[in-house]
Amino acid sequence: MSRRAPRLSLADMPAIEINDLSRSFGSVHAVRDLSFTVSAGRVTGFLGPNGAGKSTTLRMLLGLVHPDAGVGTFDGRRYEELERPSTHVGAVLEEASFHPGRSGRNHLRVLAAAGGHPDGRVDEVLELVELNGAADRRVKGYSMGMRQRLAIAAALLGEPAVLILDEPANGLDPPGIRWVRDLLRAEAARGRAVLVSSHLLSEVALSVDDVVVIAKGALRANGTLDEVLGGTDGSVTRVRSGERERLAGLLQEAGTIPTDEGADALVVQGISPEDVGALAARHGIALRELAPLSRSLEDAFLELTAEAA
Amino acid sequence: MTKLLKAEVIKLRTTRTFIALAGVAVGLGLLLTALTAILGENSKEDVLAAVFANDTSSFFILVLAVVGISGEWRHRTITSSLLAAPDRLRFLAAKTVAFSVVGVVLSLAISLSVAALGFAILEVRDLPTPDSADLIELYGRSAVLAALLGAFGVGIGAIVRSQVVAVVGILAVTFILEPVLLTVIPEVGRFGPLAALPTTATGLDPEAMGLEEAGLLHPTTATLLLLAWIGAAFAAGAALLRGRDVES
Repeated sequence: MSRRAPRLSLADMPAIEINDLSRSFGSVHAVRDLSFTVSAGRVTGFLGPNGAGKSTTLRMLLGLVHPDAGVGTFDGRRYEELERPSTHVGAVLEEASFHPGRSGRNHLRVLAAAGGHPDGRVDEVLELVELNGAADRRVKGYSMGMRQRLAIAAALLGEPAVLILDEPANGLDPPGIRWVRDLLRAEAARGRAVLVSSHLLSEVALSVDDVVVIAKGALRANGTLDEVLGGTDGSVTRVRSGERERLAGLLQEAGTIPTDEGADALVVQGISPEDVGALAARHGIALRELAPLSRSLEDAFLELTAEAA
Repeated sequence: MTKLLKAEVIKLRTTRTFIALAGVAVGLGLLLTALTAILGENSKEDVLAAVFANDTSSFFILVLAVVGISGEWRHRTITSSLLAAPDRLRFLAAKTVAFSVVGVVLSLAISLSVAALGFAILEVRDLPTPDSADLIELYGRSAVLAALLGAFGVGIGAIVRSQVVAVVGILAVTFILEPVLLTVIPEVGRFGPLAALPTTATGLDPEAMGLEEAGLLHPTTATLLLLAWIGAAFAAGAALLRGRDVES
């Protein structure tokens, strides 16, 4: 099976760029002034609770839903402007999109014909998603996991530079979830930009490099996984000292927010352990403990989305 | 456009609905031909209309086209279709051409089957058969009509997304509304796109079809008016399709 390297983005241009995207349905603001970018060779988690506007955002990016304002582009071009779009972008959307009476192979043959891909490519992607044995069965007899694999096979038909997956783990059993996770990592390692939406935070934490968090259609956080885990304004550090009050004053002067944790301990947001240590050393303050605090993605997510509630 | 056309033809060929309806169309044509050829005693003048005008392809391709495009919404395949062809006008155009082409193929298949059976029975019964030139003209017109109604069905299906409403609607218009109009207000009914114009466009003698009182139009005029109906349906369907959000 031959697999060509995907077409990579220009070095100074993100693979996906979303600028001020907005859409309302009646009085409901589904997406509000949303902007973020997705880079090639990285898996970007697009997170938010149900109803946050993730699917609407992805559908606007893919030209399926018309935005009220703003634009989403791939290498600077809107989806509708891409020639042979399946060679640029592969998408797996949340809602299954198959004719139940058509076989998996024929579903892919239709899309291969529309995209100008040879029939042989259908066999390749079927093998890639391990669906060869069921390819000639009608889709209505497929399990949820098999449908998800078929959708991923369709997305990979054109060996695109960008993969977009909307809640790909929904309805999958643990081996299926692991299979999707490994696939995302493998595709990013091949240079593809991968944008994956999810509300299953524990699943995403294991597979993403970058995170975009939205709630009520608005951006709540955007950065690397470490940055978002560190807190909304950077790192979080736990420090203990016999001169807790003096240290707290110095930290406040440095523009951070120390919180009294009892037992001579402070938790400080917005400063790394290295900087706390340097500050204490400059002022001759002895420390008993100095450690970075990592919140779980779940904690960060709940904190970020709760602010919007 | 060629790629999209190929994709649409594969879509058609790979569902049981098409195979079943095409089979029914051929079977019905053969049955009607056998009955009229066996039971009738037609003259050289009326044998063409009585025995050989049993090509039902135009009606079946109309239904297939409506089912084909409204099924995109019903089964939500519209999402993958528009991801593959984000230019919605091109998508609709490809579907229109695909159903026209398939309509011609279906019509020719039925015409050839009907002609072979009709000639065989009439020869055995030693009854008059139509002139080949008349037969070829009839089947040529039937093929054109199937192409036109295939295209018209796509337009209707693009306007009415509900498959049930669309199919029931065209059945009601074809078999109830237009025949009633043709009888009660023929000056209006003769412009109907699903019964009067298609019947006229075949070029058969209105008297032989039992429609001499309706004041039907000239076949060429009927064909042009049918084209106008198709243009209007396509334009309305395209405008709606382009404006619609494809949500989950």
